[in-house]
Amino acid sequence: MNWRNVQLVLSREMRDQLRDRRTLFMIAVLPILLYPLVGMTFLQLKQFMQEHKTRVEVVGREEIAGIDGLPPLFNIQGNRFAESLVGESGLGDQVELVFRDQDSRMAGSQRGSQKSDPEQDMNLEQALANARQRLTTGEIAAIIYFPPRFGKELELFRQELANRIIAVRNPESANSDNSEPVSGDRKDVPPPVPQPEIIFSSANERSSLAHLRLSQILHQWTLAIGQQNLEVSRVPLFAMRPFEFRGQDLAQGAIRRAAVWAKILPFVVFVWALTGAFYPAVDLCAGEKERGTLETLLSSPASRAEIVWGKLLTVMIFSIATAVLNLVSLGATGQFVISQLQQMPGFGEDLALAPPPFLSLVWLLVALVPVSALFSALCLALAAVARSTREGQYYLLPVLLVTAPLMVLAISPGVELDLGKSLVPVSGLVLLLKSLIEGNYSQALPYVFPVLGVTAICCLLSIRWAVEQFSKESVLFRESERFDLRRWIIHAVRDRNDTPSIATALTCVALIFLLRFFMGFALAASPMETFSDIAVMFFVTQVVIILFPAVLLTLLFTRQRRRTLLLDRRPPLSAIGMGLLLACLMRPVGDQLVVWIQYLYPSGEEMAAFGQLIHDLLGQAPNFLWIIVLIAVLPACCEEIAFRGLILSGLRHLGHKWWAIGLSALFFGLCHSIMQQSIAAAVMGLVLGYLAVQTGSLIPCILFHMTYNSLEMVSGYLAKHSEEILEKRPELELFLTKSGSSIGLACTYQPFLVIACGVLALYVLVWFGRFSYVPSAEEYLEELRHQRTQESLV
Amino acid sequence: MIHVEHLIKAYPDLERGRFNAVDRISFDAHEGEIYALLGPNGAGKTTVLRILSTVLQPTSGIVVVGGFDVVTQPELVRHQIGYVSTSTAVYDRMTAWEMVAYFGRLYGMDEEELDARIEEIFDRLQMKEIRNVLGAKMSTGMKQKVSIARAIVHDPPVLIFDEATSGLDVLVARALLDTISELRHQGKCIIFSTHIMHEAERLCDRIAIMHRGRILTEGTLAKLRDSHAGEDLEDLFFRLIAEHDRAGEANDPAKLKV
Repeated sequence: MNWRNVQLVLSREMRDQLRDRRTLFMIAVLPILLYPLVGMTFLQLKQFMQEHKTRVEVVGREEIAGIDGLPPLFNIQGNRFAESLVGESGLGDQVELVFRDQDSRMAGSQRGSQKSDPEQDMNLEQALANARQRLTTGEIAAIIYFPPRFGKELELFRQELANRIIAVRNPESANSDNSEPVSGDRKDVPPPVPQPEIIFSSANERSSLAHLRLSQILHQWTLAIGQQNLEVSRVPLFAMRPFEFRGQDLAQGAIRRAAVWAKILPFVVFVWALTGAFYPAVDLCAGEKERGTLETLLSSPASRAEIVWGKLLTVMIFSIATAVLNLVSLGATGQFVISQLQQMPGFGEDLALAPPPFLSLVWLLVALVPVSALFSALCLALAAVARSTREGQYYLLPVLLVTAPLMVLAISPGVELDLGKSLVPVSGLVLLLKSLIEGNYSQALPYVFPVLGVTAICCLLSIRWAVEQFSKESVLFRESERFDLRRWIIHAVRDRNDTPSIATALTCVALIFLLRFFMGFALAASPMETFSDIAVMFFVTQVVIILFPAVLLTLLFTRQRRRTLLLDRRPPLSAIGMGLLLACLMRPVGDQLVVWIQYLYPSGEEMAAFGQLIHDLLGQAPNFLWIIVLIAVLPACCEEIAFRGLILSGLRHLGHKWWAIGLSALFFGLCHSIMQQSIAAAVMGLVLGYLAVQTGSLIPCILFHMTYNSLEMVSGYLAKHSEEILEKRPELELFLTKSGSSIGLACTYQPFLVIACGVLALYVLVWFGRFSYVPSAEEYLEELRHQRTQESLV
Repeated sequence: MIHVEHLIKAYPDLERGRFNAVDRISFDAHEGEIYALLGPNGAGKTTVLRILSTVLQPTSGIVVVGGFDVVTQPELVRHQIGYVSTSTAVYDRMTAWEMVAYFGRLYGMDEEELDARIEEIFDRLQMKEIRNVLGAKMSTGMKQKVSIARAIVHDPPVLIFDEATSGLDVLVARALLDTISELRHQGKCIIFSTHIMHEAERLCDRIAIMHRGRILTEGTLAKLRDSHAGEDLEDLFFRLIAEHDRAGEANDPAKLKV
């Protein structure tokens, strides 16, 4: 690659973007204006919200009127809550009280007037029904309801309480009146007062708010009554809460601030880094296609990779600039708001509002570089697919939908940085950044390399993808064509090639995933109690979900079916023998891998229980052969036909055998639903893919797969019975570990055996390299190009 | 300079199935010669020229430009050519000078040589007054001049012009044809596609008449006239295309059924 060309493309694109008013607005002007505008809008809206009063209807007010000594609920005018309850909080202004049907009665009479009780109850119930009606229509937001006899019972309760106090003071006189014991027994507790109610509807936002406000006010009132009762009983107020737990925070101010900012800053900055990458990427790819300048550039001597790198660096610079400018603007606005708030009483103490520590900003800027690189590469590849700017902008949402959960996952409470999470793209980086901002350097340090490694790999893959996009004429000169599914299927069958296309391979993967998803529900619903249940599950998974789509697509969309499935050539005997040997050598290596994966990503109890269930049910098999068929023969045939047959054949049209092997292994891994299994399977997928490409035949793969899976039973047996075996044959301790020690990082086999098997397996793999594999037309072309480039360089 | 042999470019098409936009064509073009691809719209001229400029890849066949293969040595081919097409636009947010200089640098020219060369080209193409004008503010004729300056800045041995005069007024078109003629005298191998008969007649040394991806006939103007009973180019053009369409209809099984 010629870096001078990259620099030329970069400087041109930078100048071009800086001359574009739209981009400048998005990158520079918007961040500066955004936060003050958001702040202003928020304040405006808040005023609006405060002015909004809640209308509350009170039903049964007469129940509490005229009770002697009861703390007032309403003020003297009776139009709002008593000052003693709402104070200066402004809560009183936010609630508008409404009294309706019972007002006429209130005017004439007080509670306990000449009107008979049943008649009054009926009136009250009628009033409640009317009020409910008004609540439903939205005329009022909530109802405070005092049920019939509430006042009477409350008064009785208070009287009873007072009497009891007298009784305690003068036991003799009390005992003469009442023969029951006074203290220590719950029986003498006065009868409960009927429950008053706040009636509201949580489905309605205003009503919920009213409920919240009323709860606060009425709680104060209940407390006041409780205090009064205590006074009557001559119990000091502090008897109710003799002590309280005092929290003592060891974190110092700066650390506390850092912890708060560690959660906020990465998210804000990364989201802006993504947005800042997206718009320039769309303009630099889809925009150039639209304006017709892409063809001009493509006919210049700059190679596709140089063009992509130049554009990538431009996008990256804009991504970083957007994030930094947003941070600065957010900081400046925040600083202003904080200084304003700190002048207000009660706010100065709150350290969470203080600006973030300086060092956290430094870490943020350091982390911004890999994150922008990753987002820029991703956006560039996507934007290259788009035909127009408009189409490009459609892709923003999917990108956000994929990346946002990764960021949110990392800042969720309780999620800590460990090796497993450090290997998740984006999340690992956010977690690492969080640790650094919090100042936990010792915790963060071990994960710097895994995080940066994963990010670098993702970046390179994205860049590679973008370069592929730029090399594809179908992407560059995509014409809009009316899409017709029927015609498209006819075209795909009629114009099919000897071997499947990349699209056919990807369709097969998609079909397998879809079937797996939907059949998964059906399988989960069916009972899993006997061996036949599990046999059916294995059969359905392998034959219906994996084999069926592969065979169907092979029949429909290829001309040379045996060649597609690598069944047209007889492999040399030596390849078969070496394949079997490789399976035996890989087994201990695979077991060690599984132990490592379990250590990194421990499986949940549910998964472990499910694994145990399958193990137990397999144990019920009528004979050994059944188990071999289910766990070895069936998967070996079905999975190999699908993944090393149709899918790998299709992916070989990518033009690079390692890309094809890598992708088919990735899909093979992903089709195993348990993540721990997926990783191990993907590694085996690499070995199997290599065998398939080198030998050009599926037979060694099937035999390898069958042997490897069968040997799992041997491994399982050894793991279970290692202690008995070692007791009988202590010399075997050279090879086997005791099952008790297989916790942690050791597997059933001794480390030296695993290493020896690994080295030998590597040798066998190198041995397979001697086969001259048959390249696909695309692979041949790539090799020829490479060769010619080397020649012209010489 | 340019060698094309049995070139096929096939596209998948939902309706027609796989169809050949360029169908087994072969021709050679040499130094100091203007070779014209003359044909109606959709004849496959642009596809051939895009393949020559390495923007598209052939489905099969051999294409060698300036001694390099377009499939395996595309970067080297691009050093040998200057490509002007209706679809190679000018950057909106770059001035004429910046645009030409940018491409000159991509071709690996050093600054001093580049400055002198651009001065010379701007002088020759009378572009002095648009030197600092942004692409977005240029007229079609100005843009075409910038495109030509961009294509010849590195003094390539092969020049490819695809419908270079389309959208230009008579004056500008005439000046452009004069420039191309001048470039021939400098010994360049020029391949020129057009659907305008008199342009081909006036300018080109050899003419290939293309229709539906095929070359129907090829040769110097005089040779074409001789071998087709002294018809003028326009009559010859219409007759050949009509004959080809009739033959196509007769061979098309779908049409026969009707």
